[in-house]
Amino acid sequence: MSETLLEVENLRTVFHTDKETIHAVDGVSFDVSEGETVGLVGESGSGKSVTARSVLGLVDDPGVIEEGSIRFRGDELVGGNWDQHRGDIAIVFQDPMNSLNPVYTVGNQIKEALRIHQGLRGSEATEKAVELLEDVGIPDAARRVSEYPHQFSGGMRQRAVIAIALACDPELLVCDEPTTALDVTIQAQILELLDDLQREEDLGVLFITHDMGVIEETADRVNVMYAGEFVESAPVDELFEEPRHPYTRGLLASIPGRNAEGDRLPTIEGEVPTSTSEPTSCRFAPRCDYAFGACEEVHPGRVRVGDVDTDHEVACLLYDDTFEETPPEGGVEAHGGESA
Amino acid sequence: MSRAKYLGKRLLMAIPVVWLGATMTWFIIFMGPIDPAARLLSEGQVRNPAAYQAAQTQLGLNQPPLQHYFDWLSSLLVFDLGQTWLLYQGSNVNALIMDFLPRTLWLGFWSVLIAIFVGVPLGFYAGMRSNTVADYVASMGGIVWRAMPNFWLGIMLLALLGSSEAIFGFAWETVGPDLLTGISGNPDLTQLGTVDGFLRATKKVLPAAIVLGSASMGNEMRIGRTAVLEVKNQDYVELAKVKGVSKRSLVYKHILRNALVPLVPIITSEAFLLIGGSVLVETVFGINGIGYLFYQAAIQGDLPLVGTLMYVFILMIVGINLIQDVLYTLIDPRVGLEGD
Repeated sequence: MSETLLEVENLRTVFHTDKETIHAVDGVSFDVSEGETVGLVGESGSGKSVTARSVLGLVDDPGVIEEGSIRFRGDELVGGNWDQHRGDIAIVFQDPMNSLNPVYTVGNQIKEALRIHQGLRGSEATEKAVELLEDVGIPDAARRVSEYPHQFSGGMRQRAVIAIALACDPELLVCDEPTTALDVTIQAQILELLDDLQREEDLGVLFITHDMGVIEETADRVNVMYAGEFVESAPVDELFEEPRHPYTRGLLASIPGRNAEGDRLPTIEGEVPTSTSEPTSCRFAPRCDYAFGACEEVHPGRVRVGDVDTDHEVACLLYDDTFEETPPEGGVEAHGGESA
Repeated sequence: MSRAKYLGKRLLMAIPVVWLGATMTWFIIFMGPIDPAARLLSEGQVRNPAAYQAAQTQLGLNQPPLQHYFDWLSSLLVFDLGQTWLLYQGSNVNALIMDFLPRTLWLGFWSVLIAIFVGVPLGFYAGMRSNTVADYVASMGGIVWRAMPNFWLGIMLLALLGSSEAIFGFAWETVGPDLLTGISGNPDLTQLGTVDGFLRATKKVLPAAIVLGSASMGNEMRIGRTAVLEVKNQDYVELAKVKGVSKRSLVYKHILRNALVPLVPIITSEAFLLIGGSVLVETVFGINGIGYLFYQAAIQGDLPLVGTLMYVFILMIVGINLIQDVLYTLIDPRVGLEGD
């Protein structure tokens, strides 16, 4: 059994604005173990990135982690203790165009991390930087190491960002939509690279994306996020075979190709609401085709579904025995499939 | 392209600019509404055709325009326009300028320096602490300071310093090096080599320099604040933070150099203003500088003096532009020496 790296418990990150308080992350809990990839999937605005930023201690004013605990190898990070674990958690951002400092060479930025975390300086550091660039698949690394970010293409920059992450010698890698800004072929290469590195270094990975296809390939366990909450958590195979939450089903149904019949791709109408208050109802209810009376009155808790050993949880009243409504046979269908 | 080659190209490109500026000056004075010959004569003599003719011949104004133009331009190129026509009549133009120029340069030097060393750090400070009381005070101060007109600020400052003993309880003249010749007037630049002479000359122009630099200081503060605000939320700064870079290095290495990029053209464009735009300040503070000289020469149509001064201004501005471009390439590697 591999060790648990990251434990997040009941994390609440809020943003205080002049008008209102936005509950961007509202009580999420998850663990990441060595060698494991935990996926975080959801629409834009569901709170995925804020979760990642919270884990990294990057939530700045007006945002604040109001409640909950983030532990790295048992050490509590909330309350400003990130500094002692800097480098243990590395990040790959969405936009490789902005992730590198434009006025310093790529080598300089890798060497900075090498100096801080591995104590390497001078030519030793340069050699190691070249080695890292080679590891992430940058050709002609010896020359590239002294080039500036603007001389790199998008895919190469993302590789360089990964090299910087590796230079920190991390145990956990947070990937915040690392392939969203890249074209499909580059995306596949980067995913493969991340996969290789993870296996070599036994890294824990927190992988954030809105792309269900990517999550199916990379993740071991998936958390589906909606309006700041996890509405469903399950091992990846289980989730894709037997999705329970109407939202998860909607997401899966809207992947092109999964759903060959019908000439229109099913969609989930509406958009993610911004949570400005404590939940008193199911936040997905207004968009849900299976909502019933209680959905407007009760905030659903998480209930365990499926086999005992699959660790599949869902936050939906359809699966809560205290309510009479039961999920329809064969599962709920996403809206739009037959009406098109 | 090497830096030397680039500089050579830029110098070649400056030739038409210098030529055009000089030619326009000649055209405006020679062909324009001001009649230097009439100004040379007293009221009564203007109506005397013989005397007027003699004045025109004396100044060479009755030559064919093209001949006059080419003579004038070729003399200008080698700084050999001889004597003034009207102002300090009969003095050598170059000697006159060499007498006045150092005072303006001394004033301009301190104005630029004060603006940079007060405005930029204050802006960066406000930007790093955005939306705090310190930021509001600095920003408001910057706006108010920026909004006060030069001539008014100059008069107020002189009034305050002039009666400083009654208002503040100490006399400005006797704080530090004594100002025996009063708080305004020409700085004595002959003793700059000695510590006491240097301090004395500096103290003498300091109030004028603060006033002349006030607008630039406000500008640089505002732009500096915005630049820092923009840079400090970039992904690459957050990546550096996650990398474990110290706060100090984060600010000085990653934020400030990027924030300097938009400041360079602001600072260099302020430098133009300080060369030419000091007539009001020089008048208020009683400094016989080049601004005052240029103004007098221009309204009287003293072609040799105006021409030479314009030539000096143009050369300075072209030079500052060149320095700006070189600074750009030093600060921001994305600005290449190639291209058109």
